[in-house]
Amino acid sequence: MKINKQDRRNAKQLFQCCLDNGQMDEERIRKAVEALIRLKPRGFAAILSHFQRLVRLEIARRTATVESTVALTDELRQAVQRNLADRFGPGLRYEFRVNPALLGGLRIKVGSDVFDGSVQARLASLQASL
Amino acid sequence: MNNLLQDIESQIAGVKTGVAKENVGIVREIGDGVAKIEGLTDAMLNEMLDFGNGVTGLALNLEETEVGAIILGKFTDVKEGQEVKTTGKLLQVPVGKALLGRVVNSLGQPIDGKGPIQAEANYPVEKIAPGIIKRRSVSQPVQTGIMAIDAMIPIGRGQRELIIGDRSTGKTTIGIDTIISNARQNKAAEEAGDRDYRPLYSVYVAIGQKQSNVANVVRILEDAGALPYTIVLVAAASDSATNQYLAPFAGCSMGEWFMDNGMDALIIFDDLSKHATAYRQVSLVLRRPSGREAFPGDVFYLHSRLLERSARLSEAAGNGSLTALPIIETQLGDVSAYIPTNVISITDGQIYLETDLFYQGVRPAVSVGLSVSRVGSAAQIKAMKQVAGRIKLDLAQFRELAAFAQFGSDLDPKTQAQLERGKRIVELFKQPQYNPLPVELQVVALWSMQNGFLDDVDVDKIKDCQAKLGEFMTSRKADLMAKVRAEKAVSDALAGELKAAVGEFKQSYK
Repeated sequence: MKINKQDRRNAKQLFQCCLDNGQMDEERIRKAVEALIRLKPRGFAAILSHFQRLVRLEIARRTATVESTVALTDELRQAVQRNLADRFGPGLRYEFRVNPALLGGLRIKVGSDVFDGSVQARLASLQASL
Repeated sequence: MNNLLQDIESQIAGVKTGVAKENVGIVREIGDGVAKIEGLTDAMLNEMLDFGNGVTGLALNLEETEVGAIILGKFTDVKEGQEVKTTGKLLQVPVGKALLGRVVNSLGQPIDGKGPIQAEANYPVEKIAPGIIKRRSVSQPVQTGIMAIDAMIPIGRGQRELIIGDRSTGKTTIGIDTIISNARQNKAAEEAGDRDYRPLYSVYVAIGQKQSNVANVVRILEDAGALPYTIVLVAAASDSATNQYLAPFAGCSMGEWFMDNGMDALIIFDDLSKHATAYRQVSLVLRRPSGREAFPGDVFYLHSRLLERSARLSEAAGNGSLTALPIIETQLGDVSAYIPTNVISITDGQIYLETDLFYQGVRPAVSVGLSVSRVGSAAQIKAMKQVAGRIKLDLAQFRELAAFAQFGSDLDPKTQAQLERGKRIVELFKQPQYNPLPVELQVVALWSMQNGFLDDVDVDKIKDCQAKLGEFMTSRKADLMAKVRAEKAVSDALAGELKAAVGEFKQSYK
């Protein structure tokens, strides 16, 4: 869908209103979407589409994905969460995944930043340097 | 003590294995060699991005929610959803003397099948031009070997001289002749062990050319023995617009290495019109706003930052120089179009080639009236200044009077003499392609013309006379030629010797 500048701007403004102290407020977002669908202002479909994209990007930005070869123990999980909260602040969404291809170690991705301590990554960098 | 060293080493090794932070993004859209990437929050402008599998890209558009990148290499392998990493590096190309004699692509990779290149260094493709204090005014000549140019529109080392004309008027030929002429001079100086001579290395950048044309050029350079002093950089018409956009900058970096290391280099951009077109394509696909003739707003900056990197450096900065000969193709002789006017205002003069002159048989088809060199006689050796000083004026007067030539006999002797002299000068400046003349032969030819030795020769026999005079001088009066070459000026004594030599030749010439 081709979204023009005005709708993009409106969607962005709406999104800014749904932020509380720099973090997304789920309640407000749901209310905003419901209101848009109910009131149907001009260009609401485009606004909704762009709004959805902004929410998706914001969620991705505040998601921490932790990949490991085996499922982590609760202790380890909490340690990781504490560490990440110290670095990146509160309000992170945590996802824990099992990825045997890593061969060992952890791969942590927070938004766009990746901390790759897995054996697979080290082998790849070794291969690249040879 | 031994244990201490080992302990420290293992401790250092332990620290190094820490995990580094990387920045990644996901490809959301891919097409036409351009990728839109979500994420990549730390991307910087012009940073190299790693798409995996040896495919790299350049981040050109930094927007609020995404990054627009152009892809270098096989963009067909990149898929939507693929991960992209930042590298923290700028695009670099290999530079150094190892590139001489090789044919490379825009990234500096060899494409002539002669094996890998061991480069001395890597220079970034985008570099800031030397500042004002680092520069010096141009005073050394670039002997192009083309008499029309060396006499009337002289080019100096460190100058930017635009070669502008319609298609098939001989623009590339001027560039190739310059390369061959300088290669010959380099070789002669090497063989003679001349320490004072500063060799001029050449870089030929082919942008958007047909590969058959480029192959032809390489063959000509090879046959003339000029390839060992030349780097050929090719971004042919079949290459992506990205490669064509980057080629001149990469070539400029290679030339800059010579400049930074106290040597002289010449770079020929063939041609910048195709470069502007490639940049237009890249900008339009990146959805940047378009301006006049659909070119992006910064097309002037594209060429100005490229050409400003050619300079002559001061003694303190190494005394090197980079001379640029950009080529622009006009449509129907329209020099007031957008891109030609841009580049004319950037360069230090232009050589204007006209189709009319070309088809009249005047080749090189240099229009003496419209061509200019803003460096002028500062870039000529004294001998050339002495003999060629009046030529431009003589030709201008001849052109004014040429209309009366049709009346023929009803003119006073002075006008008649001017007409006859003018016709002979025009004939003298004709030159076959890939046949550059050394400066001493040019001086002799022009000196003979100025002193009336060629007035009694028929107009259509002038070229033959000049050729035979050249042969005579190189074979029988080689020491006189050497004297001219060494002294670089025609003193009275030398003038006397020349008079005797040319007189001797004229007696035997029929």
